[in-house]
Amino acid sequence: MAYEKKQTEHAHADHQGHTAEHFREKHLMLDPLPRGQMNDMVMESMLEKPTWKYWAVIGILSFIVVYFLFYKWGVLIAKGQGVAGVMRPDYWGIFLVNTVFWIGISHAGTFISAILRVFRAEFRRPFTRAAELMTTFGLVQAGFSIFMHMGRVWLAYWLMPYPNQRMLWPNLHSPLTWDLLAITTYLLSSTMYLFLPLIPDVAMARDRSTGWRKTFYKTLALGFRGTEGEWTHLRNAMNIFAFAIIPVMFSVHTIVSWDFAAATRPGWSSTIFGPYFIVGALHSGMGAAVVVIAVIRATMKHMKYFIRSEHFDAIGKLMLIISMAWAYFFFNDYMVQWYGGDKWTQQLLHFHEAGPMGWMWFTMLICNIVVPWAILWNPKWRATPWLVGTVGIIINVGMWFERYIIIPISVTINRMPFTWRLYKPGIEIPMGIGTLALFILLYMIASKLIPLIPVWEVQEGQMAHELKKFGRETVVTVSELE
Amino acid sequence: MSKQFSRRDFLKLAGVGAATTAILTGCGPASRYVKREPYMQMPEYTYNGQSTYYATTCRECAAGCGLIVRTSQGRAIKTEGNANNPLNLGKTCARGQATLQGLYNPDRVTDPIKRSSRGGDSTAVMDWDASIQVVADALKNNKPEEIAFLMGMAPDHIFDLVTDLANATGMNAPMRFGALGMFEARATLSKAAENLFGQASLPFFDVGGAQVVFSFGANFLETWLSPVSYTRGFAGLREARTKLRGKFVQFESRMSSTGGKADEWIPLRPGTEALVALAIGRLAAEIRGGAMPRAFASVDPKDAATKSGIKLETLEHLAEMFANSTGALAIPGGAALGQSNGLAVAEAVLALNAFSDNLGKPGGVYLSALAPNQTEYNRPASAREMQALVQKMFDGKIKVLFVHGVNPLFELPNSLEFGGASKYVSQIISFATFPDETAREADYVFPDHHGLESWGYQRVATGSAQPVLSGAQPVVSPYYNTRATADVLITAAQLAGGKFAEALPFKDEVEFLQSKIASLMSEADGSISALDIPTFMAYFQQHGGYWKMSDGRGVPSAEDMLNRTIAADEAEFAGEGEFFFVPFVSPTLAEAGANKPWLQELADPTTTVMWNTWVEMNPETAHELGIENDDVVKIVSEAGALEAPVYVYPAIRPDTIAMPFGQGHTAYGRYATDVDKDGNIIPRGVNPADLFGQHFNEAGDLAFAGMKVKIEKTGVKKPLSRLESLMGVYGIGLGEEH
Amino acid sequence: MATLADLKISEVKLAAEQTGKWGMVIDQDICTGCQACVAACAMENNVTFVGEVDSGYGRSMHWIRIERFWEGEYPEVKMTPNQPMLCQQCGHATCEPVCPAFATVHSQAEQLNLQVYNRCVGTRYCANNCPYQVRSFNWRDYQRPEPLPNQFNPDVTVRRVGVMEKCTFCIQRIHKAQDKAKSEGREVVDGEFTTACAQACPANAIVFGRVDDPESLVSQLGKQSHGVKHLEELGTLPNVTYFKGG
Repeated sequence: MAYEKKQTEHAHADHQGHTAEHFREKHLMLDPLPRGQMNDMVMESMLEKPTWKYWAVIGILSFIVVYFLFYKWGVLIAKGQGVAGVMRPDYWGIFLVNTVFWIGISHAGTFISAILRVFRAEFRRPFTRAAELMTTFGLVQAGFSIFMHMGRVWLAYWLMPYPNQRMLWPNLHSPLTWDLLAITTYLLSSTMYLFLPLIPDVAMARDRSTGWRKTFYKTLALGFRGTEGEWTHLRNAMNIFAFAIIPVMFSVHTIVSWDFAAATRPGWSSTIFGPYFIVGALHSGMGAAVVVIAVIRATMKHMKYFIRSEHFDAIGKLMLIISMAWAYFFFNDYMVQWYGGDKWTQQLLHFHEAGPMGWMWFTMLICNIVVPWAILWNPKWRATPWLVGTVGIIINVGMWFERYIIIPISVTINRMPFTWRLYKPGIEIPMGIGTLALFILLYMIASKLIPLIPVWEVQEGQMAHELKKFGRETVVTVSELE
Repeated sequence: MSKQFSRRDFLKLAGVGAATTAILTGCGPASRYVKREPYMQMPEYTYNGQSTYYATTCRECAAGCGLIVRTSQGRAIKTEGNANNPLNLGKTCARGQATLQGLYNPDRVTDPIKRSSRGGDSTAVMDWDASIQVVADALKNNKPEEIAFLMGMAPDHIFDLVTDLANATGMNAPMRFGALGMFEARATLSKAAENLFGQASLPFFDVGGAQVVFSFGANFLETWLSPVSYTRGFAGLREARTKLRGKFVQFESRMSSTGGKADEWIPLRPGTEALVALAIGRLAAEIRGGAMPRAFASVDPKDAATKSGIKLETLEHLAEMFANSTGALAIPGGAALGQSNGLAVAEAVLALNAFSDNLGKPGGVYLSALAPNQTEYNRPASAREMQALVQKMFDGKIKVLFVHGVNPLFELPNSLEFGGASKYVSQIISFATFPDETAREADYVFPDHHGLESWGYQRVATGSAQPVLSGAQPVVSPYYNTRATADVLITAAQLAGGKFAEALPFKDEVEFLQSKIASLMSEADGSISALDIPTFMAYFQQHGGYWKMSDGRGVPSAEDMLNRTIAADEAEFAGEGEFFFVPFVSPTLAEAGANKPWLQELADPTTTVMWNTWVEMNPETAHELGIENDDVVKIVSEAGALEAPVYVYPAIRPDTIAMPFGQGHTAYGRYATDVDKDGNIIPRGVNPADLFGQHFNEAGDLAFAGMKVKIEKTGVKKPLSRLESLMGVYGIGLGEEH
Repeated sequence: MATLADLKISEVKLAAEQTGKWGMVIDQDICTGCQACVAACAMENNVTFVGEVDSGYGRSMHWIRIERFWEGEYPEVKMTPNQPMLCQQCGHATCEPVCPAFATVHSQAEQLNLQVYNRCVGTRYCANNCPYQVRSFNWRDYQRPEPLPNQFNPDVTVRRVGVMEKCTFCIQRIHKAQDKAKSEGREVVDGEFTTACAQACPANAIVFGRVDDPESLVSQLGKQSHGVKHLEELGTLPNVTYFKGG
């Protein structure tokens, strides 16, 4: 902190008085550094020689990925789904819980990046990249999870509409087909959307690196030189994508919800599931984003300059709002199902609360509603990175539980009481941990390869922001640059 | 067409409809003599994609149902009931369906073997010539009275062959024994018939024709006597002549799957069956008026109500039902007869039939039709007769014991000490198809063909109005290096020479069979007739046997039946303990089904448990003892102790526990046994016969149900495999009560 | 009052008009729960056994199972009539639309719900969506050691790991009977053939036949007033009619 303060003082020789000082300290946008220096900071944070701790974590994660994810997956393929905990009537288990969970995580990336960009929320600037990476990496885990779930994964390509001799096409009535199409679209578009804003940054990195990195960045930068024409094209493309990706994002989780809502099962065929799932996704996604941001800030060099309390405060507010929205949808869903009076649904709702997994139901409510409401209302607590990060983890636990309750616990109760049975997970647990490890691993590797801070976006923001003095009052002004 | 179909029509039509249209063949792939044919004339069973159907007899139990086996490319692929066979009319039970899993069981005895030490794993494969020499030497080198044959319960051709051999040479007469016969208490039924009707016979109960059926422990929808036939009868009962649905009342202390179908299930105190039957008789006689029959006179209904734990009003209501019905039938059976007073129970229940005046009438009691080549009823050995055999073995009077079609080390209770006595027998030769416990303790195993690979016939003891001789023929060539026991014995007898050779002057098994059925050829009223023996034999095989076209059931004489006094004493119970112990035969496994994986995986009809043994306990009792589902308890009787997990069973008396018989094999193949963590073979489940003491009833049957046992908790849990959901069926694990 | 058929939605209309072709009537009053149908089905259709642990964990492969519940408490306890539960061959099946791979399809010719084993990729959506819970999944590559495979029915595919399966109304028997009738230039006669379960049933509690033929036994029985169809309220148009006890 002291180091950064000194830097700040050094850069701003012309003091504007105490108020301006206060503004600068608080707001990144009002605390500009020379471009070169900022670029160097980002480069340094990326090129910083990894400590033994970093390698140790990488090693452990790689082991988990190789053993828990890939080796166990081999076992699963060789031995069949029997090594997992699925059975009649719980044909769907943790693999699908994880699929929905990771898709949910991936939502925050687009939400932060696209929606906040469209609405010009300035606090987004330093962490859009981090969020977009989360989207892409989260979707990878979701894809893995859904493939793990398939009984004959080696035939997964049959779900793609490819021309074939027998004129067999996937069944477009099935929500699963739409799932696959939506997730693929989302993965492709979010990767594109991750890539576009990355171009100026990798161009910057290209100019500041040597060796293989130079080649790497050169390739990624597609010859970007920063001419006015290039910027115009890039801005246009980003704008189009930012608007276009929003409906994709909404559709993805709505479609995921159809997997359940379109089924003839008590507790599933609920019309509110579409928006309920989207809000749920944002809930867990924002939670995950804040954890990622908090970790980046705590572990990487110079990040305390870029990511400040104001950002946690802003995200915290969003989390609180989303938590309220989630609570509303949850209540609505519960209310309508309960009011419907169907005897199997009644039985299921009772089972949720009072059954052997009732603790999970209550924990879910505590994690998703009580904890965020109790902590995030307070501006001071909301601005404390570790606290907001912890809340993010708790929300994610709660949201994972929510999906667990919707899938394996709810399918326990069906219209044939003779078959009711409680799900006991097997190989899903280590494999689920494997996906988490892979997610973190990808992130750690990415942090050494691509600038996690979209430096041009920050600089752009800083250029637009200005402190002006009207009489004795210091006022923040923002100009439109684009 | 708006004609209303009654259920009875539906049964009739469905029965006809189910008749297979397949062309049946009389000459199986294991035809006796090889005939060289040009390659162009392939045998029909080798045609690609075409199935050939053979009629034969089911050997899974002693009932003798007719089967049609579908074969394709020389493989048996499906068994169906033989629609022509009057016993089962095209139907089978689950065991009949699973018979192929015996034929193609991976654990069959593949070659004749010599065991270096009894019970050991080390065996040497022999060739058949040497094996037959062993049998011949055993016959020749021992005194005939030192040779004994122990056979399965089925009255089949091998039994006849050995009987002929014994009659001619002075060997011990072959004994037929099976656990099913023990649990059915066949000797008691037969003795009761002898006492009351003056003729030893297996009574036949025409359930289908009755209006009201009172069953005292008879599990006739499970394994009792002839389950397929009795199930058909039950279906008939539900839609009887007058279009009224027949009523069915079951008296038993533990609800069997038969009892589960009852309109009224009366859980009486074990041992009071005779008392209850007589009390119902007395109350019914009072309702009908007239002179009180002597048989019922001495019973006090109030006393019976107190002792049996049935309310007096219930008894009165039942008596009313019995008295006012035009077709009331009472059946004694199962655990009710396997008690110290079993004979009295049988007599009391049969007396009810006399009172109902249904003897020899539709919906009543008959004497089972004797099979076409049979002159008198020949029941399997009772447990007491087995005990006598065991005693002879102990005394060293048996030097050679041949075992065929039975597994005495599993089926006989431990307390009879067959295992101990076998040590005094110098040579034990088993003809087992499967490596069962007895084969493991035998010096030699000369495996017989599986039932579907062999020739033969089987007399139908009961279940059909017509006299039936079910015929068997090989439907596939023998899969392994096995040989028909009849062939082995015929060849060995000829090698042994003397009386042995004279007794069996046949070239092979088929010639023996022909000699046995030849006399039927000229008889009138038969299902098939022919002028020469090969044609008759071919018809016999093609149709799956020979039966008379007329009713062959005997009419029991009712003279004086009601004027006898029948003892109404309660049964005596051996052992100290607070619980009555009711063993019952597993409806899906029976005594020999445990090695067929699909029978193991069938859900028990009452508990839906698969692959293991359980102890049934009343929920209240379990609650009082602090026992839950799957808690392993130790059951201690006077004769032994064993451990099994508890199934909290809502339909059993609080003072009673029950256990199925059928598991607990220590040998008998991979599906009948289990493997522990170290790969050692351990029993799958337990055998409740280990708890039986040496107590018999008057007729010589084992009083297997006359026991009291203690229960001890072990603190161990062993989850039972259930098809049902504990949550959905019992509400266990759903959270606090809704 | 408007009925389903009055609606202009073509599929709803189709479903409401649909009567099915093959059907079954099961008399629960005479079903003794003896499991002969279960065994017969397993033998006919090459259904595998799964062993003690898996069968106790809801992984048994029974295509037909017999359900029973309890009513009352000792001593007034009653076992509810045995209820054989098998694929109801719905006219408007919930399993069909959800399969992404078209492995669960409706046979237009036979009006049955087909399961195309070699098309199945194992998403298990159909089983999840089956209100009767009658589908079985091959959780493992269940091995039948030699020589047990000798008894395989050559007319029925042997399923391997990762594939969903269910009762087919013994479609191989339907086809065989139809081929035979066709070669003889006639229609299939009612009762000419039946399913393995119906054939074995010692109590004759299961009757199988054409429900679109008003003269057939199964149609006649199906018209009985005490016949019920399970979960009819879901609009699945099941083709199995049950006679409850008594």
